[in-house]
Amino acid sequence: MPALDWLHSWTMESEALKSQVQLATIWFLAARTMAVADGNLPKVKETVAGLYARSILELPEEACVAAKNPENISSLRIEDCLASVRSLPRALGEKIMTGVMMIAYANRAMHPLEVRWASMLASAIGLEENDFQRCCVDARVIATMMNPSAEDEIS
Amino acid sequence: MTMSRNFDFMENYDRRVGRLAGQAERYVYSDPESCLFKLRLMVETMARTLIELQAPHLVDADLSTMLRSLERSQILTRAHADQMHAIRRDGNSAVHGDPTPGPTAMRRLHDAHRLSGWYCRTVKRGAKVKLQAFEPPERIADQKKKDYWKKGEALEESIEQQRQRTREALMLFSDKENVDKIASTLVDELKGWDELAIEAGEPMIDAEFVALVMAMDIEKLLEHPRFGVPSKEAHAIAEAQYDAFRHELEAKEASFREQRRQLAIGEQRTGEQAGSGNE
Repeated sequence: MPALDWLHSWTMESEALKSQVQLATIWFLAARTMAVADGNLPKVKETVAGLYARSILELPEEACVAAKNPENISSLRIEDCLASVRSLPRALGEKIMTGVMMIAYANRAMHPLEVRWASMLASAIGLEENDFQRCCVDARVIATMMNPSAEDEIS
Repeated sequence: MTMSRNFDFMENYDRRVGRLAGQAERYVYSDPESCLFKLRLMVETMARTLIELQAPHLVDADLSTMLRSLERSQILTRAHADQMHAIRRDGNSAVHGDPTPGPTAMRRLHDAHRLSGWYCRTVKRGAKVKLQAFEPPERIADQKKKDYWKKGEALEESIEQQRQRTREALMLFSDKENVDKIASTLVDELKGWDELAIEAGEPMIDAEFVALVMAMDIEKLLEHPRFGVPSKEAHAIAEAQYDAFRHELEAKEASFREQRRQLAIGEQRTGEQAGSGNE
């Protein structure tokens, strides 16, 4: 491959990875906030977030690892997450909302702070009530598929 | 019955598990597949004992389900779960007849040793188990074998790193992060935002609707007049994406097995050629 072509393709790949890391960062921040909002962090919430990132958001392994690098994520706050979510394309914003609601379902109850976080996200994404309700239903359906054994353990 | 320097302390805690570990150790050079088979049985026995204490309704479940349950109930730490899953996976490959290089078996034997001290402390609460450093059974002097072991160890190291990376990608927090600190910071921030939002009269989502969705049977949800059809579509798309991801992980594991198989077959051929040259 000629040097310029190689450089061009490398730049494209590097740009693509950069935007994947950005999306992964938004996702993990949003997911973490929902996962800890009720004061508990059961394992079921911890593993399902990564499965969602890899399969539904279609993020590559390296983007997920890079997003969680403390140098990348440790200084970010809730307002950074909200600002980033606002700038996402609508479809991606809805996927983030769906995933976050899936995490909220893990212990079959919603703590007031979980309700607050869902409200803040829905408002940042600009979801109407109908859109939010659709995300909720999708989240329930996807949760059943991704995490079938959690229900056994709860019962 | 004499067991081994690495595992004989287990006699006082769980004789059956200790015996399986000792047998695995004896096979590690001569028959790596049998070593892994014994180690898998060892891990299955450990998991069944622990699950009887924690979730007896899962006692007849398969090993993978038992391990997931133990991990979620936080009896298994992430590191222990990784070690047990590695033994389960490699043991399964051995049972299905995949040729296994000796270094793979040795690495899993080392994992079993790491698990053994923790296991004894868990089944006999308060037991003071001081785990001695792992001592690999004596190595072979043959230079060719040494090269083979070196290659095998390098391969195992690379597989372990790749598995570790896959696992890291899936977790909500990385190993380098202080989860408690992050959780408490996020909750504090959220509380602050909550107070501000209440003062400003910010709208809230319909929590009653969320509760209803949580409580509904999935079948009923899929028949819902308003959400049924889009949910079925969302489910189909998500299922296809999830399956694609699972296939990707399976392909990765299959490639690890193939690399090991190639190494083990290469070694077998070298051994056969050396044997026929001597005739």
